[in-house]
Amino acid sequence: MQTNTAKNNHLALCPKCHKLNVLHNASQNEKIKCSRCHGLFYQRKPYSLQFTLAWNIAALIAFIPANLYPIMIIYSLGIGDPSTILSGIGQFVDQGLYPIAAIIFTASIIVPLLKIIGLFVLVYRAHTGIRLRPDKHSKFYHALEFLGPWSMLDVFVVALLVAVVELGFITSVAAGPAINYFTLTVIFTMIAANSFDARLLWDKQQHIENIKEKNDN
Amino acid sequence: MKKKIDLKQLIACQLCDALYEKPVLKQGQSAKCVRCGSIMEERKVNSIERSYHWSLAGLFFLVPAILLPIMGVTLAGQYHHASLLDCIVALIDRGFYMIAVLVFLFAIAVPIVRLFGSFYITYSFKYNRLKPSLLSFFRAFHHLDNWAMLNVFMLGIVVSMYKLLDDTELSVNLGLMAFILWLVSSTMASATLDQDYIWQELEDNFAN
Repeated sequence: MQTNTAKNNHLALCPKCHKLNVLHNASQNEKIKCSRCHGLFYQRKPYSLQFTLAWNIAALIAFIPANLYPIMIIYSLGIGDPSTILSGIGQFVDQGLYPIAAIIFTASIIVPLLKIIGLFVLVYRAHTGIRLRPDKHSKFYHALEFLGPWSMLDVFVVALLVAVVELGFITSVAAGPAINYFTLTVIFTMIAANSFDARLLWDKQQHIENIKEKNDN
Repeated sequence: MKKKIDLKQLIACQLCDALYEKPVLKQGQSAKCVRCGSIMEERKVNSIERSYHWSLAGLFFLVPAILLPIMGVTLAGQYHHASLLDCIVALIDRGFYMIAVLVFLFAIAVPIVRLFGSFYITYSFKYNRLKPSLLSFFRAFHHLDNWAMLNVFMLGIVVSMYKLLDDTELSVNLGLMAFILWLVSSTMASATLDQDYIWQELEDNFAN
Protein backbone atom coordinates (compact mmCIF):
# COMPACT_ATOMS: atom_id res chain seq x y z
CA MET A 1 0.00 0.00 0.00
CA GLN A 2 1.40 3.35 -1.00
CA THR A 3 0.52 6.28 1.24
CA ASN A 4 0.27 9.62 -0.42
CA THR A 5 3.11 11.74 0.92
CA ALA A 6 4.32 15.20 0.12
CA LYS A 7 7.61 13.76 -1.05
CA ASN A 8 5.94 11.48 -3.62
CA ASN A 9 4.14 14.49 -5.05
CA HIS A 10 7.31 16.57 -5.34
CA LEU A 11 6.24 18.80 -2.50
CA ALA A 12 8.20 19.89 0.53
CA LEU A 13 6.90 21.12 3.86
CA CYS A 14 8.53 24.17 5.45
CA PRO A 15 9.51 23.15 8.99
CA LYS A 16 8.92 26.65 10.37
CA CYS A 17 5.64 27.82 8.88
CA HIS A 18 4.26 24.46 7.64
CA LYS A 19 3.68 25.72 4.15
CA LEU A 20 3.80 23.26 1.27
CA ASN A 21 6.25 24.23 -1.46
CA VAL A 22 6.57 22.77 -4.93
CA LEU A 23 9.90 21.15 -5.61
CA HIS A 24 10.99 22.27 -9.07
CA ASN A 25 14.30 20.49 -9.36
CA ALA A 26 14.54 16.74 -9.29
CA SER A 27 17.43 16.73 -6.83
CA GLN A 28 16.45 16.23 -3.23
CA ASN A 29 19.32 17.71 -1.32
CA GLU A 30 18.84 21.21 -2.57
CA LYS A 31 17.93 24.15 -0.39
CA ILE A 32 14.39 25.38 -0.93
CA LYS A 33 13.21 28.90 -0.20
CA CYS A 34 9.80 28.88 1.39
CA SER A 35 7.27 30.90 -0.59
CA ARG A 36 5.54 32.05 2.61
CA CYS A 37 8.18 32.80 5.25
CA HIS A 38 11.23 33.03 2.90
CA GLY A 39 13.17 30.69 5.16
CA LEU A 40 15.59 28.20 3.65
CA PHE A 41 14.99 24.52 4.26
CA TYR A 42 15.40 21.02 2.84
CA GLN A 43 12.77 18.45 1.98
CA ARG A 44 14.45 16.12 4.48
CA LYS A 45 17.11 17.25 6.91
CA PRO A 46 20.38 16.54 5.08
CA TYR A 47 22.67 13.91 6.66
CA SER A 48 20.13 13.66 9.46
CA LEU A 49 21.23 10.24 10.69
CA GLN A 50 24.92 11.11 10.52
CA PHE A 51 24.47 14.33 12.50
CA THR A 52 22.31 12.59 15.08
CA LEU A 53 24.90 9.88 15.50
CA ALA A 54 27.74 12.39 15.87
CA TRP A 55 25.98 14.55 18.49
CA ASN A 56 24.91 11.40 20.27
CA ILE A 57 28.47 10.11 20.58
CA ALA A 58 29.56 13.54 21.88
CA ALA A 59 26.78 13.41 24.48
CA LEU A 60 27.81 9.92 25.57
CA ILE A 61 31.43 11.00 26.00
CA ALA A 62 30.45 14.07 28.04
CA PHE A 63 28.17 11.95 30.21
CA ILE A 64 31.10 9.97 31.67
CA PRO A 65 32.95 12.86 33.43
CA ALA A 66 29.54 14.29 34.34
CA ASN A 67 29.01 11.31 36.62
CA LEU A 68 32.56 10.88 37.90
CA TYR A 69 33.34 14.43 39.05
CA PRO A 70 31.47 16.08 41.92
CA ILE A 71 28.57 18.25 40.78
CA MET A 72 28.58 20.37 43.91
CA ILE A 73 30.61 20.86 47.07
CA ILE A 74 28.88 21.80 50.32
CA TYR A 75 31.17 23.68 52.71
CA SER A 76 30.17 23.80 56.35
CA LEU A 77 32.53 25.36 58.92
CA GLY A 78 35.28 25.32 56.33
CA ILE A 79 35.09 21.61 55.57
CA GLY A 80 34.10 20.66 52.03
CA ASP A 81 31.77 17.75 51.26
CA PRO A 82 31.72 16.95 47.54
CA SER A 83 28.82 15.02 46.05
CA THR A 84 28.32 13.56 42.59
CA ILE A 85 24.95 13.27 40.84
CA LEU A 86 24.46 9.74 42.15
CA SER A 87 25.55 10.45 45.71
CA GLY A 88 23.21 13.47 45.78
CA ILE A 89 20.35 11.12 44.93
CA GLY A 90 21.60 8.75 47.62
CA GLN A 91 21.32 11.55 50.21
CA PHE A 92 17.65 12.03 49.37
CA VAL A 93 17.05 8.28 49.69
CA ASP A 94 18.79 8.30 53.09
CA GLN A 95 16.53 11.12 54.23
CA GLY A 96 13.49 9.14 53.08
CA LEU A 97 12.49 11.68 50.43
CA TYR A 98 11.77 9.03 47.81
CA PRO A 99 9.62 11.11 45.40
CA ILE A 100 12.32 13.80 45.13
CA ALA A 101 15.01 11.14 44.72
CA ALA A 102 12.94 9.55 41.95
CA ILE A 103 12.46 12.89 40.16
CA ILE A 104 16.18 13.72 40.18
CA PHE A 105 17.12 10.16 39.22
CA THR A 106 14.71 10.30 36.27
CA ALA A 107 15.79 13.76 35.13
CA SER A 108 19.54 13.40 35.43
CA ILE A 109 20.27 9.69 34.86
CA ILE A 110 17.37 7.93 33.14
CA VAL A 111 16.37 10.66 30.64
CA PRO A 112 19.88 11.38 29.25
CA LEU A 113 20.68 7.66 29.02
CA LEU A 114 17.31 6.85 27.49
CA LYS A 115 17.77 9.64 24.98
CA ILE A 116 21.27 8.55 23.97
CA ILE A 117 20.38 4.84 23.70
CA GLY A 118 17.00 5.55 22.13
CA LEU A 119 18.47 7.77 19.43
CA PHE A 120 21.14 5.18 18.67
CA VAL A 121 18.38 2.58 18.21
CA LEU A 122 16.27 4.94 16.08
CA VAL A 123 19.20 5.80 13.82
CA TYR A 124 20.03 2.10 13.45
CA ARG A 125 16.44 1.16 12.65
CA ALA A 126 15.96 4.04 10.21
CA HIS A 127 19.17 3.14 8.44
CA THR A 128 18.76 -0.64 8.18
CA GLY A 129 14.98 -0.97 8.35
CA ILE A 130 15.25 -3.98 10.67
CA ARG A 131 12.12 -4.39 12.84
CA LEU A 132 10.97 -0.93 11.89
CA ARG A 133 7.64 0.20 13.36
CA PRO A 134 7.31 3.85 12.32
CA ASP A 135 4.09 4.48 14.25
CA LYS A 136 5.61 3.37 17.56
CA HIS A 137 9.05 4.77 16.84
CA SER A 138 7.86 8.24 15.94
CA LYS A 139 5.83 8.38 19.17
CA PHE A 140 8.92 7.28 21.08
CA TYR A 141 10.94 9.97 19.34
CA HIS A 142 8.44 12.60 20.39
CA ALA A 143 8.57 11.47 23.99
CA LEU A 144 12.37 11.80 23.84
CA GLU A 145 12.13 15.28 22.35
CA PHE A 146 9.69 16.36 25.06
CA LEU A 147 11.78 14.96 27.93
CA GLY A 148 15.03 16.57 26.78
CA PRO A 149 14.89 19.95 28.56
CA TRP A 150 13.92 18.35 31.88
CA SER A 151 17.45 17.00 32.25
CA MET A 152 18.55 20.58 32.97
CA LEU A 153 16.90 20.17 36.39
CA ASP A 154 20.11 19.32 38.23
CA VAL A 155 21.94 22.29 36.72
CA PHE A 156 19.21 24.69 37.85
CA VAL A 157 19.20 23.15 41.34
CA VAL A 158 22.94 23.68 41.69
CA ALA A 159 22.67 27.24 40.32
CA LEU A 160 19.98 28.03 42.89
CA LEU A 161 21.83 26.44 45.80
CA VAL A 162 25.06 28.28 44.95
CA ALA A 163 23.18 31.59 45.03
CA VAL A 164 20.97 30.96 48.06
CA VAL A 165 23.31 29.15 50.45
CA GLU A 166 25.95 31.80 50.93
CA LEU A 167 26.46 32.24 54.66
CA GLY A 168 30.20 32.82 54.63
CA PHE A 169 32.15 30.50 56.90
CA ILE A 170 29.12 28.73 58.38
CA THR A 171 27.93 27.14 55.20
CA SER A 172 28.18 27.71 51.47
CA VAL A 173 27.75 25.72 48.30
CA ALA A 174 30.13 25.64 45.34
CA ALA A 175 29.52 24.08 41.95
CA GLY A 176 31.77 21.22 40.88
CA PRO A 177 33.37 20.55 37.49
CA ALA A 178 30.76 17.91 36.63
CA ILE A 179 28.14 20.61 36.06
CA ASN A 180 29.92 21.75 32.88
CA TYR A 181 30.02 18.24 31.45
CA PHE A 182 26.47 17.50 32.46
CA THR A 183 25.17 20.65 30.76
CA LEU A 184 27.08 19.71 27.65
CA THR A 185 25.45 16.26 27.72
CA VAL A 186 22.00 17.81 27.89
CA ILE A 187 22.69 20.32 25.11
CA PHE A 188 24.25 17.66 22.88
CA THR A 189 21.31 15.28 23.29
CA MET A 190 18.89 18.11 22.53
CA ILE A 191 20.76 18.97 19.34
CA ALA A 192 20.93 15.26 18.46
CA ALA A 193 17.17 14.91 18.85
CA ASN A 194 16.67 18.09 16.81
CA SER A 195 18.77 16.82 13.92
CA PHE A 196 16.87 13.53 13.70
CA ASP A 197 14.17 13.59 11.02
CA ALA A 198 11.30 11.30 12.06
CA ARG A 199 9.99 11.26 8.50
CA LEU A 200 12.95 9.09 7.52
CA LEU A 201 11.37 6.23 9.50
CA TRP A 202 8.26 6.40 7.29
CA ASP A 203 10.32 6.82 4.12
CA LYS A 204 12.29 3.69 4.94
CA GLN A 205 9.16 1.67 5.55
CA GLN A 206 7.70 2.74 2.21
CA HIS A 207 10.96 1.89 0.54
CA ILE A 208 10.86 -1.62 2.05
CA GLU A 209 7.22 -2.09 1.02
CA ASN A 210 8.01 -1.00 -2.51
CA ILE A 211 10.76 -3.59 -2.80
CA LYS A 212 8.43 -6.28 -1.44
CA GLU A 213 5.75 -5.40 -3.98
CA LYS A 214 8.27 -5.57 -6.80
CA ASN A 215 9.44 -8.99 -5.68
CA ASP A 216 5.89 -10.28 -5.43
CA ASN A 217 5.10 -9.28 -8.97
CA MET B 1 1.06 11.95 -14.36
CA LYS B 2 1.92 15.57 -13.73
CA LYS B 3 -1.26 17.37 -12.87
CA LYS B 4 -1.83 20.83 -11.59
CA ILE B 5 -1.70 20.79 -7.80
CA ASP B 6 -3.42 23.49 -5.85
CA LEU B 7 -1.24 23.99 -2.80
CA LYS B 8 -3.94 25.78 -0.87
CA GLN B 9 -6.09 22.66 -0.92
CA LEU B 10 -3.43 20.41 0.56
CA ILE B 11 -1.90 19.83 3.96
CA ALA B 12 0.98 17.60 4.96
CA CYS B 13 1.77 16.08 8.34
CA GLN B 14 4.90 17.64 9.82
CA LEU B 15 6.00 14.37 11.36
CA CYS B 16 5.39 11.69 8.77
CA ASP B 17 4.90 13.70 5.56
CA ALA B 18 1.51 12.17 4.71
CA LEU B 19 -0.48 14.36 2.34
CA TYR B 20 -4.16 15.19 2.81
CA GLU B 21 -6.80 17.48 1.47
CA LYS B 22 -6.95 20.53 3.65
CA PRO B 23 -9.90 20.32 6.04
CA VAL B 24 -11.97 23.36 6.89
CA LEU B 25 -11.74 23.79 10.63
CA LYS B 26 -13.97 25.74 12.95
CA GLN B 27 -12.64 27.32 16.14
CA GLY B 28 -11.73 24.66 18.68
CA GLN B 29 -11.35 21.88 16.10
CA SER B 30 -8.13 20.16 15.16
CA ALA B 31 -7.02 17.87 12.35
CA LYS B 32 -5.14 14.68 13.18
CA CYS B 33 -2.92 12.69 10.89
CA VAL B 34 -4.38 9.23 10.23
CA ARG B 35 -0.99 7.60 9.80
CA CYS B 36 0.98 8.80 12.81
CA GLY B 37 -1.72 10.35 15.00
CA SER B 38 -0.11 13.76 15.51
CA ILE B 39 -2.07 16.99 15.31
CA MET B 40 -1.52 18.67 11.96
CA GLU B 41 -3.56 21.79 12.34
CA GLU B 42 -5.50 23.34 15.13
CA ARG B 43 -7.82 26.30 15.17
CA LYS B 44 -7.63 27.66 18.69
CA VAL B 45 -10.58 29.49 20.25
CA ASN B 46 -10.21 33.25 20.36
CA SER B 47 -6.48 32.88 19.99
CA ILE B 48 -5.31 36.45 19.37
CA GLU B 49 -7.34 37.94 22.19
CA ARG B 50 -6.34 35.30 24.76
CA SER B 51 -2.69 35.20 23.81
CA TYR B 52 -2.49 39.00 23.87
CA HIS B 53 -3.79 39.22 27.41
CA TRP B 54 -1.72 36.33 28.73
CA SER B 55 1.46 37.85 27.30
CA LEU B 56 0.50 41.23 28.76
CA ALA B 57 0.20 39.56 32.16
CA GLY B 58 3.51 37.82 31.58
CA LEU B 59 5.26 41.11 30.82
CA PHE B 60 3.82 42.51 34.04
CA PHE B 61 5.24 39.70 36.21
CA LEU B 62 8.55 39.50 34.36
CA VAL B 63 10.52 42.14 36.28
CA PRO B 64 9.49 41.09 39.82
CA ALA B 65 10.05 37.42 38.94
CA ILE B 66 13.63 38.12 37.96
CA LEU B 67 14.60 40.72 40.54
CA LEU B 68 12.69 39.81 43.73
CA PRO B 69 14.30 37.17 45.97
CA ILE B 70 12.84 33.71 45.38
CA MET B 71 13.86 32.16 48.68
CA GLY B 72 16.18 32.62 51.61
CA VAL B 73 17.91 30.57 54.27
CA THR B 74 18.57 31.26 57.94
CA LEU B 75 21.29 29.41 59.81
CA ALA B 76 22.98 30.35 63.11
CA GLY B 77 21.36 33.75 63.08
CA GLN B 78 22.50 34.64 59.59
CA TYR B 79 20.11 35.22 56.73
CA HIS B 80 20.71 35.21 53.01
CA HIS B 81 18.34 35.24 50.08
CA ALA B 82 18.71 35.13 46.31
CA SER B 83 16.74 36.08 43.24
CA LEU B 84 16.84 34.57 39.77
CA LEU B 85 19.39 37.17 38.70
CA ASP B 86 21.53 36.41 41.78
CA CYS B 87 21.91 32.83 40.53
CA ILE B 88 23.57 34.12 37.37
CA VAL B 89 25.76 36.56 39.31
CA ALA B 90 26.84 33.85 41.78
CA LEU B 91 27.80 31.52 38.94
CA ILE B 92 29.84 34.27 37.27
CA ASP B 93 31.58 35.01 40.59
CA ARG B 94 32.65 31.39 40.91
CA GLY B 95 33.96 31.29 37.35
CA PHE B 96 31.31 29.02 35.83
CA TYR B 97 30.82 31.25 32.82
CA MET B 98 29.36 28.62 30.51
CA ILE B 99 26.72 27.55 33.02
CA ALA B 100 25.95 31.19 33.81
CA VAL B 101 25.39 31.98 30.14
CA LEU B 102 23.22 28.91 29.57
CA VAL B 103 21.09 29.39 32.68
CA PHE B 104 20.68 33.02 31.67
CA LEU B 105 19.60 31.98 28.18
CA PHE B 106 17.22 29.18 29.15
CA ALA B 107 15.63 30.72 32.24
CA ILE B 108 15.69 34.46 31.47
CA ALA B 109 16.58 35.53 27.93
CA VAL B 110 14.64 33.02 25.82
CA PRO B 111 11.43 33.26 27.88
CA ILE B 112 11.59 37.07 27.74
CA VAL B 113 12.16 37.15 23.99
CA ARG B 114 9.35 34.65 23.45
CA LEU B 115 7.02 36.68 25.61
CA PHE B 116 7.82 39.93 23.82
CA GLY B 117 7.50 38.08 20.53
CA SER B 118 4.04 36.72 21.19
CA PHE B 119 3.01 40.11 22.59
CA TYR B 120 4.23 41.95 19.49
CA ILE B 121 2.56 39.52 17.10
CA THR B 122 -0.79 39.45 18.85
CA TYR B 123 -0.64 43.25 19.29
CA SER B 124 -0.13 43.69 15.55
CA PHE B 125 -3.06 41.39 14.83
CA LYS B 126 -5.35 42.89 17.42
CA TYR B 127 -4.87 46.46 16.22
CA ASN B 128 -4.47 45.56 12.56
CA ARG B 129 -0.89 46.74 12.15
CA LEU B 130 0.37 43.98 9.94
CA LYS B 131 3.73 44.49 8.30
CA PRO B 132 5.67 42.25 5.89
CA SER B 133 8.50 42.14 8.43
CA LEU B 134 6.25 40.05 10.68
CA LEU B 135 6.91 37.09 8.39
CA SER B 136 10.60 36.92 9.23
CA PHE B 137 9.86 37.90 12.82
CA PHE B 138 7.48 35.01 13.33
CA ARG B 139 9.90 32.63 11.63
CA ALA B 140 12.66 33.70 14.02
CA PHE B 141 10.21 33.26 16.89
CA HIS B 142 9.91 29.56 16.02
CA HIS B 143 13.66 29.03 16.40
CA LEU B 144 13.27 29.41 20.16
CA ASP B 145 10.46 26.87 20.51
CA ASN B 146 12.51 24.24 22.30
CA TRP B 147 14.76 26.38 24.43
CA ALA B 148 12.54 28.03 27.04
CA MET B 149 12.91 26.13 30.30
CA LEU B 150 10.92 28.06 32.88
CA ASN B 151 8.95 24.94 33.85
CA VAL B 152 12.16 23.01 34.46
CA PHE B 153 13.49 25.87 36.58
CA MET B 154 10.28 25.75 38.64
CA LEU B 155 10.88 22.06 39.38
CA GLY B 156 14.46 23.01 40.24
CA ILE B 157 13.15 25.48 42.83
CA VAL B 158 10.99 22.75 44.41
CA VAL B 159 13.86 20.25 44.53
CA SER B 160 16.31 22.74 46.04
CA MET B 161 13.72 23.65 48.68
CA TYR B 162 13.64 20.01 49.77
CA LYS B 163 17.41 19.97 49.76
CA LEU B 164 17.54 23.02 52.07
CA LEU B 165 14.62 22.05 54.28
CA ASP B 166 16.66 19.41 56.02
CA ASP B 167 19.29 21.45 57.85
CA THR B 168 18.40 25.12 57.44
CA GLU B 169 15.47 27.36 58.14
CA LEU B 170 13.92 28.07 54.78
CA SER B 171 11.85 31.12 53.97
CA VAL B 172 9.91 31.74 50.80
CA ASN B 173 9.86 35.24 49.35
CA LEU B 174 7.62 37.21 47.03
CA GLY B 175 9.83 36.41 44.06
CA LEU B 176 8.57 32.83 44.04
CA MET B 177 4.98 34.02 43.71
CA ALA B 178 5.93 36.34 40.85
CA PHE B 179 7.93 33.56 39.21
CA ILE B 180 5.00 31.12 39.33
CA LEU B 181 2.66 33.74 37.85
CA TRP B 182 5.23 34.54 35.17
CA LEU B 183 5.57 30.83 34.35
CA VAL B 184 1.79 30.37 34.13
CA SER B 185 1.17 33.42 31.96
CA SER B 186 4.03 32.78 29.55
CA THR B 187 3.03 29.12 29.19
CA MET B 188 -0.56 30.14 28.50
CA ALA B 189 0.56 32.87 26.09
CA SER B 190 2.38 30.37 23.90
CA ALA B 191 -0.25 27.64 24.33
CA THR B 192 -3.08 29.89 23.13
CA LEU B 193 -1.13 31.26 20.18
CA ASP B 194 -2.65 29.86 16.97
CA GLN B 195 0.34 29.56 14.64
CA ASP B 196 -1.54 28.20 11.63
CA TYR B 197 -3.98 31.07 11.73
CA ILE B 198 -1.20 33.66 11.99
CA TRP B 199 0.72 32.16 9.08
CA GLN B 200 -2.40 31.97 6.98
CA GLU B 201 -3.30 35.60 7.65
CA LEU B 202 0.24 36.80 7.00
CA GLU B 203 0.30 34.91 3.73
CA ASP B 204 -3.05 36.31 2.60
CA ASN B 205 -1.87 39.83 3.35
CA PHE B 206 1.59 39.66 1.87
CA ALA B 207 1.29 37.08 -0.85
CA ASN B 208 3.84 37.50 -3.58
